[in-house]
Amino acid sequence: MAAYKMSDDDMEYSDTDYDDYYGNDYEGDMDHMVPMKNDPEYFDVACLTDTEVERLLNESVEQLSNSIQVTPSLAKLLLHMYNWNQVEIVAGYRQDCHRILASAHVKPPQSTTAKDPGGENEGEIICPVCLGTIAPEAVGQLTCGHKFCKDCWSMNFEVQITQGISTGIECMANNCQVLAPEDFVVPLLKRPVFKEKYQQYAFSDYVRSHPQLRFCPGPNCNIVVQAKECRAKRVICTACKTQFCFKCGGSYHAPTDCETIKRWLTKCADDSETANYISAHTKDCPKCHLCIEKNGGCNHMQCWKCKYDFCWMCLGCWKTHGSEYYECSRYKENPNIAHESAHAQAREALKKYLHYYERWENHSKSLKLEEETLAKIRARTQNKVMAGTGTWIDWQYLLDAAALLARCRYTLQNTYPFAYYLESGPRKDLFEYQQAQLEAEIENLSWKIERAEMTDRGDLENQMDVVEKRRTTLLTDFLQV
Amino acid sequence: MANIAIQRIKREFKEVIKSDEAQKCAINVELVGDDYRELRGEIAGPPDTPYEGATFQLEIKVPETYPFNPPKVKFVTKIWHPNISSVTGAICLDILKDQWAAAMTLRTVLLSLQALLAAAEPDDPQDAVVAKQFKENHSLFLQTAQYWSHVHAGVPKGNSEFAKKVRCLQDMGVGEHQALVALSSCNWDVDRAIEQLFS
Ligand SMILES: [Zn+2]
Ligand SMILES: [Zn+2]
Ligand SMILES: [Zn+2]
Ligand SMILES: [Zn+2]
Ligand SMILES: [Zn+2]
Ligand SMILES: [Zn+2]
Repeated sequence: MAAYKMSDDDMEYSDTDYDDYYGNDYEGDMDHMVPMKNDPEYFDVACLTDTEVERLLNESVEQLSNSIQVTPSLAKLLLHMYNWNQVEIVAGYRQDCHRILASAHVKPPQSTTAKDPGGENEGEIICPVCLGTIAPEAVGQLTCGHKFCKDCWSMNFEVQITQGISTGIECMANNCQVLAPEDFVVPLLKRPVFKEKYQQYAFSDYVRSHPQLRFCPGPNCNIVVQAKECRAKRVICTACKTQFCFKCGGSYHAPTDCETIKRWLTKCADDSETANYISAHTKDCPKCHLCIEKNGGCNHMQCWKCKYDFCWMCLGCWKTHGSEYYECSRYKENPNIAHESAHAQAREALKKYLHYYERWENHSKSLKLEEETLAKIRARTQNKVMAGTGTWIDWQYLLDAAALLARCRYTLQNTYPFAYYLESGPRKDLFEYQQAQLEAEIENLSWKIERAEMTDRGDLENQMDVVEKRRTTLLTDFLQV
Repeated sequence: MANIAIQRIKREFKEVIKSDEAQKCAINVELVGDDYRELRGEIAGPPDTPYEGATFQLEIKVPETYPFNPPKVKFVTKIWHPNISSVTGAICLDILKDQWAAAMTLRTVLLSLQALLAAAEPDDPQDAVVAKQFKENHSLFLQTAQYWSHVHAGVPKGNSEFAKKVRCLQDMGVGEHQALVALSSCNWDVDRAIEQLFS
């Protein structure tokens, strides 16, 4: 591992921290694939099914219902309106129960409660919606006391549910915002299809209002992820394996934060035409000008004719990408740009964006190509096992290496939007230094995996350690979510 | 159309016609066709507003799901108001959207629209250009709204300066309403209006 030691002592980086990232359990091979508590990406989540979520929500409902003595249905509405913050509800309720109930639209503000007609009780009640007279047993009213016939309530509910509204259904009176709780709505729904739809929409509303819960964004996946804190951390759905950011629900984007990645993706979409020309799959060898096609993920290219080693991104000599200060990922800004014309500044801005975009896009392509490499490794391993050359266990390290490579390149890809928006200064210098180190080691790993049969197993495993170490260091220093 | 919708509209139609406000010619409603699906509403511009003396025609379409969903209402008469599109007549008013309640009636709607003419909400605009003028150059907004009432909604008198500017653009072959829109959106700056029209 000495070969990968840092050459620059000024950098705030210590190799001795390394073992701490994995705790004391570190024993080699597979352990580094399992995130431990000291891992900067560690995030404690649980993947729940509908039934489990239902149970979790009902527990909260029951607790609140018992502690402040309201019906479970009203408790559920209160929790939904207060983003499931039981502590706040109970405290507020003890202070001024009416204010809490009114602000959650569970009950009307005191002054506007419909007056009970009292003496009019003998007279007939007219439903203000259908204008028919209502028999006493057919009257339906919420806590506000506004009376409507049950048929009108039913019809209203069906119309609202058809429009996707469930927890938000209000009283039908003018300027009355009292909400209809579940135990009022459901019994009045005549057709089972509406009951089902209502439950389904209400369930989504409850999950969306719950700060600890997120729907898995995977296609057709019904898993709900639970985390104790709402942070921009990685979640891997146990059911469909989709990876996403818990906070924003988008693709995972460490070390970039949610806002920055959103800005970046919007920018890329807006500028897609400008950036389109980059998608070349072939480039000329910088030495002998032979046309070289890129068919693997590795950006360390070797011309098959003249054997020149070069970098696919910058077409520079690969040797300068190794241990020496690596310049390929860094964008060199023009220091005099502020004094240049507006036109020159616009050109410079575009150049800067394209530098980062090209690398972002290139690593995304490499990820796809490396997936193909993984498929090939699998097929070859299968053949070897069939031919009796070793067992699956003997070759497992290759699959592990490919998985690790994907994970590291994914992080590397997401360092580019981070760097693009990072202001110049010592922090950016440190970031770009670590990014460069990570990039160089990733390409070394990719190179070795593509030539796995020629690479010594110990050498490959060393390389894996180094790459993961670089990644963890970068995330420890810069992942602030 | 559902039974309840027809019953309600019949009843609300009568309610409007017999109302005090209708007696004072402040609001009115007429049937369009004979199936109660569409009505023509009318509201008078409220006093002490740039709409005073004007009469505004409204298109009212009754949905199948009435009264559980609001009627679809828009201005037929052109009007200069932050919450009403000067182009399409579309209205931004909460009771016509999510604050609708099944117990509300056509009368409530007409009276609410009249109230909207008296108290605009420029922070929740339907027409951004009008809203900007309302906030940044209020006196010019009042004059413009009054001039629109004159041109489109039957108010006898209108600003003669504005009339001259409109005619100036009409002489260049621009239609009257098109000229009015361009000038109103450019704070009555003729050069800017011309630039907007011919670029
Ligand atoms: Zn009724
Ligand atoms: Zn009510
Ligand atoms: Zn999933
Ligand atoms: Zn995020
Ligand atoms: Zn070559
Ligand atoms: Zn390079």
